[in-house]
Order: sequence, then structure tokens, then C-alpha cells
Amino acid sequence: MTEHQQTIKKAPKGRSLWQDGLRRLVRRKLAMVCLVVVVLYFLLAGFLYVAEFFDWQVGPIRWAEEVGESYQPPSSNSIFGTDIFGQSVLRKTLYGTKISITVALCASFISIAIGVPLGAIAGYFRGFVDEIIVWIYSTLSSIPYILLILAFAVVLRDKTLFGHKLAGITSVYLAIGLTSWVGICRLVRGEIIKHKEREYVLAARSYGCSTRRIIFQHLIPNVFHIVIIDFSLRFVAFIHAEVILSFLGLGEADRPSWGAMINDARIELSRGVWWQMVAATLAIFFISLALNIFGDALRDSLDPKLRVQ
Amino acid sequence: MRDFKIIAGVTVLAAVLVLAGCKGKESDEESGEMVLHHVLPTKIKSLDPVSMRDVYSASVSGQFFETLYEYHFLKRPYVLKPLLAEDMPEVSEDRLTYTVRIKKGVLYQDDVCFEGGRGRELKAGDFVYGVKRVANIKNISENWSLFDNRIVGLDEFREYTKTCEKAEDVDYSRPIKGLQTPDDYTLVIRLKKPWPQMVGTALADRVTAPVAREAVDYYGKDIISHPVGTGPYMLKEWRRGSFIELVRNPNFRGEAYPNEGEPGDSEAGLLDDAGKTMPFTDKVIWTIVEETQPAWLMFMQGKIDTSPIYKDNYNEVFSQGTELSEKMKQLGIKLEIFDDPSTFWVGFNMDDPVLGKNKPLRLAINRAIDREKFIELFFNGRHKVAHGFVAPLMDSYDPSINDRGYARYDPDEGRRLVKEAEQIYGGKLPELKLAVPGTDTFGRQMGQFLKRQLNDAGLDVDVQYMDWPTYQEKISTSSAQMFFSGVSASISDAEDFLGLFYGPNKAPGSNKFNYSNPEYDSLYDEATIMNDGDERRAIYRKMEIMVLKDCPAAFLNHRVAFALRHEWYKNYKPHAFAYGVSKYRRIDMKKRAEYKELLKKVK
Repeated sequence: MTEHQQTIKKAPKGRSLWQDGLRRLVRRKLAMVCLVVVVLYFLLAGFLYVAEFFDWQVGPIRWAEEVGESYQPPSSNSIFGTDIFGQSVLRKTLYGTKISITVALCASFISIAIGVPLGAIAGYFRGFVDEIIVWIYSTLSSIPYILLILAFAVVLRDKTLFGHKLAGITSVYLAIGLTSWVGICRLVRGEIIKHKEREYVLAARSYGCSTRRIIFQHLIPNVFHIVIIDFSLRFVAFIHAEVILSFLGLGEADRPSWGAMINDARIELSRGVWWQMVAATLAIFFISLALNIFGDALRDSLDPKLRVQ
Repeated sequence: MRDFKIIAGVTVLAAVLVLAGCKGKESDEESGEMVLHHVLPTKIKSLDPVSMRDVYSASVSGQFFETLYEYHFLKRPYVLKPLLAEDMPEVSEDRLTYTVRIKKGVLYQDDVCFEGGRGRELKAGDFVYGVKRVANIKNISENWSLFDNRIVGLDEFREYTKTCEKAEDVDYSRPIKGLQTPDDYTLVIRLKKPWPQMVGTALADRVTAPVAREAVDYYGKDIISHPVGTGPYMLKEWRRGSFIELVRNPNFRGEAYPNEGEPGDSEAGLLDDAGKTMPFTDKVIWTIVEETQPAWLMFMQGKIDTSPIYKDNYNEVFSQGTELSEKMKQLGIKLEIFDDPSTFWVGFNMDDPVLGKNKPLRLAINRAIDREKFIELFFNGRHKVAHGFVAPLMDSYDPSINDRGYARYDPDEGRRLVKEAEQIYGGKLPELKLAVPGTDTFGRQMGQFLKRQLNDAGLDVDVQYMDWPTYQEKISTSSAQMFFSGVSASISDAEDFLGLFYGPNKAPGSNKFNYSNPEYDSLYDEATIMNDGDERRAIYRKMEIMVLKDCPAAFLNHRVAFALRHEWYKNYKPHAFAYGVSKYRRIDMKKRAEYKELLKKVK
């Protein structure tokens, strides 16, 4: 073995972008606490799906059960009191997690599924294709966001897709997802423009790789950290959008959601019933805060150049 | 230098225009105008007598569309008096011919549809034209059921309209034997069979309000938003979903405030304006506020004159029982409680293949609803349980109906009946659809309540929440399986309620249940030509029982109205059947102006 060969063997093993980012992330204790909070919300939502599927009669699944008189204030029997029908507000709040997480998750996937390929195609091809895509998203973004979601939600309501009625949360996450891809599309387009002239892309091109392969197997994986960061920050915005739609009566009508609870509580406040408002607000507050802090930390870890000092 | 002057001039002009535009809307105190401020809880779809059938459009249109007769504002029991007619009608001995003399000199409001823009004089022919428009099948009027098989020649006219391509192709000059105008001030109505209730039912209803042909010809389909009437007010602006503003009609002939009422009216200040010329106010404004809490806050801020008591404000209004709280008293707010002749129900579409053929299913739904709880939750226990559908204020109301148990809450029997219904259906019942008007919290909570109750009986229910126009269209086209609905009687006779189940009145008529029972229909035909009396009352009660047994609806509650008004809102006496009452109202401008200060003190 030559000296040169020995030097190569002893060289420390390099870390990938992801490993490096993860290392930086786990050092942030607050971000880790927030991650735990987010994971708890996700676990609760997942558990409620499983419980509903297997018909486990756990508390939040039995949210419709009467546990006391109407409008009972918080007590040891019912931590967040009861609503107009004597249902436990705590159970409704827990069940609302499932609705909110489902809507935010589905809407995120829809917006990523539309925004990422469109952004990548626009950024890679430029020219006429780019102009068309930029024109579409500029037009879409010129319409006030909430009005656009409302219009979509109203149009989608009562429509059927492959025999499935788009009622309740389905129309909500479709409305949010179909209107929220502009941000991620712009980001991905910008990143792809930066990356498309880099050596690894040129190398792939010189090897004769197809355009599809370059975009989807080389470029997108290299800009995917942007998608993840955007996902974490946008997720909370989608939860808020669901709350707003439910508040405006376009969301889930028959099952508890945080927006619907706030909508109910709004008029109940005048009779001194504050607990439903507080419960739903707290649920939204904790996940919003946790997602925002975690999203910021994720951005700083995966893309230190963007770090805000 | 010249350029500078031009630029400076333009800038100054722009600034003046901007500042002029920034000037806020004058308040009532500033303008010195006496304005009535009301709230409408929903959008209204039409202000054309042909297509109006709901109380909201009636509340507005009653101010500009007048009828031949109206109910006395103060007298109780309710009595009819002439409005556009000179006197009460002359009725022939065979009770088939009514001769009505019409007031002379009544003018329509000024409108561009008239020659020179000046409103012309009302003629007897305008009433005939109005009724013919209702009969025109192309106009798809919900009000046709009122005239069906009543007036000689009118049904034939309706048949003729079927042969026309469009509503505009109908020749309105075709004579109708039962609607004659020997001169411009005489209307002769010939009936096929006696109709003793006609004056109260039809001639005091907006559906027979005179319509100027010029207006319909000029506005065409837009006539729904361009009412041209003879009443004390006229429409100035209607922004759908926002507000409706009426202003005084300068062509209104003037009318004297009643000189007499019932005992206690004088003491209540209701005769303070006796003999004075009406209307008293310059404007009437309805703001459309679909949510209850903004409406309540507007009332408390003094921005509207009257308000119902919403369920979530009950504790704020009352200290104990029906005694107003100290705050309400300090603010000078007055409470009026009165029986409203109304009934609310969950209706079943009898043409629906699942519900219509399955009586145990309908009975199961009827047994599954806890009406006491419904009233407690949504009306603070103030309404009355509807054991039948004839409201307590009607003279044919049968108090013993409470003991018959048609409104009994019996969830066990409900579940048993569901099992029976499944046997008839041949398997598990499909999900039932319930249409609920209103997408607000109240509507949603009510829908959830009904869903929970029916779920407890073992029924799957999908509650569909919709706005008022969508809901009306759905039930008018028989496309709702079940629907939450209700009606307020427009006359003191129970015919309004009984007509809801009369076969020929099927949707789009008033029978939204599409209930059909030949025996019931023949009794209805028999009763409607009879004069008031015990015999007729007995038939009415028999008909009610027939409907309750067949169960085309689960009747829920009769409303007991609790209305609040500010001290400045004068001449307010609850009236169950009158809508054109804004002309009687007066505002004490001084008291209204003082309210802001009073509010600050109380806060």
C-alpha cells in the first residue's frame, strides 16, 4: 500500500446534506421539544384513525356522548366543561386534532404534488414553458388567498369525484391544496434555475440522461430540503386555513373541528361560556407555536445560508 | 409656469373631490330624518308579488305593495278593514259574487316605467292583471294554490298559458269571466264555489296587490328588484346581501292613524297619534345580518330599533323569569310577549320512495325527537310543544290535542318502529337527507341536534345546510327528502295550516310534503266553502287528526315571540298577520339621540 493510498483510507467519512442538517437540528433543544409536541399531535391523529377503524370506544371517539348537562363549566369531571348538547369539550378538542392534521397533511401533499413538478419544469426549461407557468401562478397569487380558498370550497362542496362526494373535510383540503401551491412552486423554480448549470447536472447531461431523469432524480432530490422546510412552515398555515373555513361554515359540519368549535363558542361567549373557545384556541396555539419553532430550526439546520441572525 | 398652474389646479380639484368623498354618511340626528332601522336575518330573493311567499320579503314588500283589505292595527280579535277598497265587499246572496269598490285618486309611485315618469292612478284592472300573472304558469308562482279552482275562468286562463312559449307571450287582455272590471273603480269577482275566507286569505294578501302593467313591461325579468307600488314607501336601494332602503312615497295619499283600539291601548300610548296622517317616518332601512350576535350588538348599540331575544342573550335580558334585567331597564328597553300563530316541523317528502311509502319510518322519526329538549336548548324553553299543526291562536285550535300523544318522545318505540320500517324497506335503511335552511351556528346546532336524536333511534342522517334561496328552491322542486321548516299564519283562520296538506297544493305550491289523501282533500273542499261555526271547526279538527295519523311531518314547536324594542320606537303593538306596519311606527328622536349617553352611563 502506497503512502497516498493510506491517506485516502484514513480520510474521515463525509456527511450528506441530510446527516449534517440532522446533526445541527438535534443540538437545538427547544426545537426537539417542539418536535415532540408535533409528533404527539400526529400520533393522536393517527391513533384516532386506527381507533375509528377498529371501533375502539376510546374517549375522543365517543365525543358525541352526553357527559353532563348543557354548558357545564370546567370541573374535575370534565376538564374543559360541556357544550350545548352536554358533550365533553375536551373530547371534541382531541377529536378536532384528527380533522386539522388530516386537512393540513392532505393539503400539503396536494400543494407539493402540484407546486414541485411545475416549479421544476419551469425552472429547468425556462422560455415559453416558464412564462406560462409563471403567468398561471402570478394570476393565482394576485387573488386574495382566503377569498380564493372560499371560492374553491364553495365550488367543490357537493361535487363528486370518482363517485366520492366532496363534502366536509375533503372539499376543505382540496380547496386549500389546489390554491396553495404557488409558494412552493416559486421556491423550487428559483432553486432549479440555480442548480441546472451545476456540475452534477452537466455531468448527468453529458452521460446522456433524459430530461425527466435529470429533473426528478438529480435536481429535485437536491432541492428537496427547501420543500421540507416549506412543508413545516406551511403546515401551520393550512391548519389555520381549515379553522377559518370551518369558522365560516364551509368545513366539517357534523364532526368537531377547532374552527367549528370557535364558531360555536363565538356566540356562546355572550352567555359566559368561554371554555369551548379556550380549549380550541389552546389546541391551535400549541401546534402553531411548535410547528413555527421547529420549522425555523429545520430551515436553519438544512440551509444555514438562510439563517436569520 | 403655465404647467405648474395646471398641475396645481388639478391637484386642488382632486383634493376637493377626495375630501368630498371622504365625508361620512350623515347620521339620523344630523340629517333630521326619522328613520326606522330593522334587521333581516336572511337575503330575500324577490320583491315581485308573483314570487313572494316568505315572511321576510313580506316584511319589506308590505311597505310598498298595498292590498284591498288589511287587518286593523290595534283591534283584537283581528278584524279586517278596507285599505285600497272603499268599503267591505258587497257579497251576493249565493255567496259567489263579490263586488269591490276601489278608492279613487290612489296613485302609484313615480317611476320611469310610466309616461313622463309620473305615477298613474290605480285602476281595478291592475288587480286583475296581478292575479293573471299569478295564474300564468310560465311565472311558476308558488301562490297559485291560493286561486286553484276558485275563480270562474281563471283555471282556463292558466290552461291557455300552458300553450304559450314564454311568459311574455301570454295575452293578458284575454277576458276572465270571474274577474270583471265594469269601470276603473269596480272589481267584480265571481267564484266557482263559496269562499268565505277570501277577503282575509286573498284580498288582504300581497299576492293580490295591484301591479302596474307598465312596470312589468318596462323591467321584464328585473321586476323582482323594481317593485312599483302604491304604498307609503318606495324602494330606493336594494343591495342584495347588504341592505334595503325605502323612502317615503311622495304620491302616497296619506292615511289616518287609527282612532280606536282595544282596552289598554290608550294607556299604553298606542292612541297618542290617533287621527294623525301616516306615515310618520321618512325612511325604512333593513340591514341584512345573518348572524345573531352582530344583530344583537347592533340592537344594544341602538343601531336597530327592535330585536328578538336570541338564545345566547337570554341571561343578559332577564334577571328572573320574564322580568327584564336591571341593565335592560336602565336602557329603557321594553319587552313584548305574544303568541305567534306559527308551527315548525321536520317535513317528509311523501313522494320520496323511502319515506313516502314507509309510515313506520315517519312515525319512528316523530317518536325520536325530544321536543321539550329542543325547545329548552334552542329557545330557552319559551316556545310551546306542537302536538298538532294548528297553532294555539287559531279559533279551531283543539287544546285536547296535547293529550293524544302525537308529539310523544319515546325513543324505545322509535327504535322498534325503525326495525319495522327496515322490514318494509327490505334491509337496512339508507342514509336520510335533511335540508336545513341556514349555514350559521344556530342552523348547524339545530341540524346536529336532530341528527343526534335520529341517530339514537338507529337512523343515519346527512344534514345538508343551505342558504335560504337554495333551500326554498330545493323544497319547491320536491328535491328535499326531509326538511326543517315552519309557517306563520297569515290569517286568523286555520285554513293556512290545513292548505299545507291539500293535494292540489303540492310543490311548488304550499304542500311541500306532497301529501295526498283524497278524503282529506274532499273535507278541505267542503270546509273551505263553509261559514265559520262549530261544524266547520269539527271538520278542521278531524282533518288535523288525519294528517297526524299519516305523519307527513314531525311537528316540533309553536313560537311564542319575545320581542325587545327601544323606548324611542313608538306605536309598536305585535301583530300576527300584518306586514305593512312601518307606516304606523314613529321614532322619538330625542330619546334616540339620548341613548348613546345612556349607554355610556350604564356601561
